[in-house]
Amino acid sequence: MVHVLGINLPDNQLARFALTTIYGVGHHTSHRLCARFQIHDRCKVKDLTPFQITALASFLSSPKTAPPLPRYPLAGPNFVPGPSNRSAQDLVAEFNSEQLSQQRKRAIKKGLPPPDPNAKTQDLKARDPLNDMRIESELRREVRENIARQRMIGSYVGRRHAMHLPVRGQNTQSNAKTARKLNQLDRY
Amino acid sequence: MRPSQALLKSGRSAWKGPYFVAFPNLKEALNNHVAIKTQARSCTILPNFVGIRFLVHNGKDYLPVLVSPDMVGHKLGEFSHTKKAFSYKSKK
Repeated sequence: MVHVLGINLPDNQLARFALTTIYGVGHHTSHRLCARFQIHDRCKVKDLTPFQITALASFLSSPKTAPPLPRYPLAGPNFVPGPSNRSAQDLVAEFNSEQLSQQRKRAIKKGLPPPDPNAKTQDLKARDPLNDMRIESELRREVRENIARQRMIGSYVGRRHAMHLPVRGQNTQSNAKTARKLNQLDRY
Repeated sequence: MRPSQALLKSGRSAWKGPYFVAFPNLKEALNNHVAIKTQARSCTILPNFVGIRFLVHNGKDYLPVLVSPDMVGHKLGEFSHTKKAFSYKSKK
């Protein structure tokens, strides 16, 4: 059994399906998570390395404050491979300087002021879609607050929730079983 | 989130903007606390409607709706209920 955030992931399932037992993680998000922690798509939960498990747990406990993904250098179209004994740091530095020069060229072409090198990292972080994901109790609280808000302002949606009836115009002559079960003011 | 986004989350395409009815007596209603009597249930509540009292038609009567800041982005008709909950009354 592998525990992540107090939820045990079933051992014999593939990791990408097991992750969906977490409330707020569907197939799409679990796919993104697997990509982020280099979990291959046939990997079962029992085959996860301890490092991957701790990385997953630490990311899921606070997705907002997670460090941004490392950016690895990509070769440009006119890349000539240098000697193979250079360190990764050198490559990254070279990559960054090339990126900056390209950005500056693009800015000059458009007639804009040259970009600020510090602003770039913030821009990259803002685009990470996993950073603003909400799971488990945080997501449940959000759902509860949305229902409470609808009830508080007295809208039709809030009223139907309070009556345990369907909200979106479904028939209620028979059935409406799901609504009777789920449409509560304090759903969780 | 941008504040104008709250008006557009209804699934209506962005270039059209929110659907609303121009009330000619809006300013007068805000200053003199006169209720606006309307049948436009599908009119989106805009930020400048906050604090105005409306009398919204529900098919039978005009029900009072006092617009609060939380209601911005909803429709006027959401606050004027059209159905009466069934309650059994025993015959004498």
